Amino acid sequence: MAPRDVPARGGPQRARRSSRLRLSETQLGLFFMLPFIVTAAAFMVWPVVEAIRMAFFAYNPLRPDDVRFVGLRNFEIILDDPLFWESFRQALVWTGWSILLQTAFGVGLALLLHVPLPGIAAFRGLLLFPYIVPTVVIALNWRWIFNSEIGVVNHLLLRAGLIERNVAWLSTPEMAMASAILLNVWKYTPFVVICVLARLQTIPTELYDAAKVDGAGTLRRFLDITLPMLKEVLVVVVVFRTIWTFNKFEEIYLLTRGGPGTTTFNLAVYAFEQGMANLRLGVAAATGVVMIALLLAGSVVYVRVSGFGAEERPA
Amino acid sequence: MTPREAVDRVLLYALLLAVTVVVCFPLAWAFFTSVKPKDEIFAWPPTLWPQAWTLENYRTLFAGKQAYFQGGTAAATAPPPSAFFLDWFLNSVLIAAGTTAISTIVSTLAAYSLTRFRFPGQRAVPFLALIGYMVPSIIFVFPMFLVMADLRLTDTLASLVLGYVCITLPFCMWLMWAFFRGVPVEIEEAALVDGASRLRVFLEIVLPTAWPGIVAAAIFTLIVSWNDYLFGRVFINTMENLPLTVGVMHFFDGTHVDWGLMMASSVLMTVPMALLFALLQRHLVAGFGAGAVKG
Repeated sequence: MAPRDVPARGGPQRARRSSRLRLSETQLGLFFMLPFIVTAAAFMVWPVVEAIRMAFFAYNPLRPDDVRFVGLRNFEIILDDPLFWESFRQALVWTGWSILLQTAFGVGLALLLHVPLPGIAAFRGLLLFPYIVPTVVIALNWRWIFNSEIGVVNHLLLRAGLIERNVAWLSTPEMAMASAILLNVWKYTPFVVICVLARLQTIPTELYDAAKVDGAGTLRRFLDITLPMLKEVLVVVVVFRTIWTFNKFEEIYLLTRGGPGTTTFNLAVYAFEQGMANLRLGVAAATGVVMIALLLAGSVVYVRVSGFGAEERPA
Repeated sequence: MTPREAVDRVLLYALLLAVTVVVCFPLAWAFFTSVKPKDEIFAWPPTLWPQAWTLENYRTLFAGKQAYFQGGTAAATAPPPSAFFLDWFLNSVLIAAGTTAISTIVSTLAAYSLTRFRFPGQRAVPFLALIGYMVPSIIFVFPMFLVMADLRLTDTLASLVLGYVCITLPFCMWLMWAFFRGVPVEIEEAALVDGASRLRVFLEIVLPTAWPGIVAAAIFTLIVSWNDYLFGRVFINTMENLPLTVGVMHFFDGTHVDWGLMMASSVLMTVPMALLFALLQRHLVAGFGAGAVKG
C-alpha cells in the first residue's frame, strides 16, 4: 500500500465543537473504538493468551477440573515425537511445491490475462472464481474426480493413453501429497494472479515501446522490464502465501485426513489431531506456539534475504 | 491486423480457453454428476454428458427431516445426514449474515475513529490487526473453544459467529483503515464547521464515501464465514446446529458413499458464493487490490 499523508486535523474550531458535545475529541474517538476494543479483547487477545498459557499445561477437555502446570513438558513431548518431525518435513514439501507452482502459474496467467484482447474481462472473472469456492466443495469434487475406480480423471487419462491402468490418486503417499498440492494450486493461483495483474497494470507501456525500438525481443523485455517491476509484489505474495500455506489445515484434512497413514500430515493437521483425537490441548497449543515461532523466523529470514523494504522506492 | 498477429490472437484465445476448461472442470463435473441417476453415476466408463437427467438428489436434500419422520420408518434409526441439509443451509446463512454484520460495523466504526481522532495507542492498532491477520485459525481454534466453554456458548450458532468475527475482524479493520486514510477530511470538517453533529456527518458524509470499502470488507467476511470448516467442526456437536461445510462431510459417515447427494450439495454450497461473485466482482477485485485477502 502506498503511504499517504494522514490529513492534518484538530484546530481551534474542533475544540469549540467538542465542548458543545460535552465529550472531548479523545473520548469521542474512544467511543467509536469501543466495540472494537471489547470484541478484540474478548475474542482475540483472550484466546491468544489462552493459546500460550495452554502450551504449559496438561489439559484434557473432558476433564476440565484436572488442569496441571507441566512447564516445558508439552514441548518435550512434541520434539520427541517422530510424527511431529514427519509432519514438519511433509509441511516443507507441501509448502515448497505449492508456492513454486502457484507463483509460476500465477505469473504466467497474469501475463496472459494482461494481453488487451476483446472479451478478456470475462476470462479474468472466470479464472478468479476458484478462490471463493469453499474448500469443502473442492475437496469433495477432488475426491470424486480423482476416485481411483470410477473417477473421471482416470477415465480421461486412460482414454488418452497416458496411463495404462487406474492410478490410486489418494491412497498412495506420493500421489495423495501430489493431489493435495494440486488442489492448493488450483484454489490459490488466482490470489497470485490478482496481485500480479494489479502490478502489471501500473507498468508504463512507454518502457516496452522504448525497448522494442532498441530491438529487445519478447523474452528480453520480460526479463529486463517485467520481472524487475514484479519483484516487489512477488516478494509480498510469496511471503504471505508461504505463511498461509504452511499452516493450511482444511485443504489437506478434508482431502486425505492426513493419510494414507500419516503421510500427508503437516503441523496444522498434527495440532488438530493432538487436540481433537488425542484430547491433549496442551500439546496442540505447544505445536501452535512452535508454528508461530517458525513463521516469525521464516518471514524475517526471507525479508532479509530478498532485501524487501531495504531500498526506498523512488516516487 | 497482420496475419502474424491474427495467428497470435488465435493461439492466445486457445490458451485462455484451455485454462478456463481446466479451472471450471471440477465444478462442471460436480454439476453433471448431481443431475445423473444413481446407476449412471457409478457406470464405467463414465458418461461425460448426462444421458438421463434427474433432480432426485436435490429433492432428497430439500425434503428435510420432517419428511423423514413422517415416512414411517423413523423412530428405529436416526435420520440420515441428508435429512439435516436444510437446517445446515439455514445455519450457514445465519452465521454468515451475523458475522458480516458485526465485523463490518465494528471495523468501520473503529477505522473511522483511528483516522479521525487522536488518542493514546492508536498507532499500534493497524499494526496489530495486520499481525492478527497472519495468525492461522488452527492456532485460535482450541483456545477459542475454551473461551466459548467459559461463556457457556459451545454448540451454538453464536459461538461460530463470534469465532468468525475473531478471524475476520483484523483484516476488515485493516481494509477500512486503509480506505478511510484515502478519504479526504475537508468535506467533513466543512460540515462540522457549519454546525452538523458528528453523528450526522458520519451517517450522511462518511458512510456513503466509505461504501466501496464496506462492501469489500463484507464480501471478504461472507466468504470466510460461509466457507470455513475448522471452527464448525470443533465448536458444534449437535447435528441440527452444524454449518453446511461440516454437515456435508457427514455424508462420508456410512459405508456406502452417495456421490450424487455429495455433488448436489457441493453445487448448492457454491451457488450463493457464485451469485455474490457475479454481482460484486468489481468490488471484490477492488478489495483485493486494497491489500490482498486471507486464504
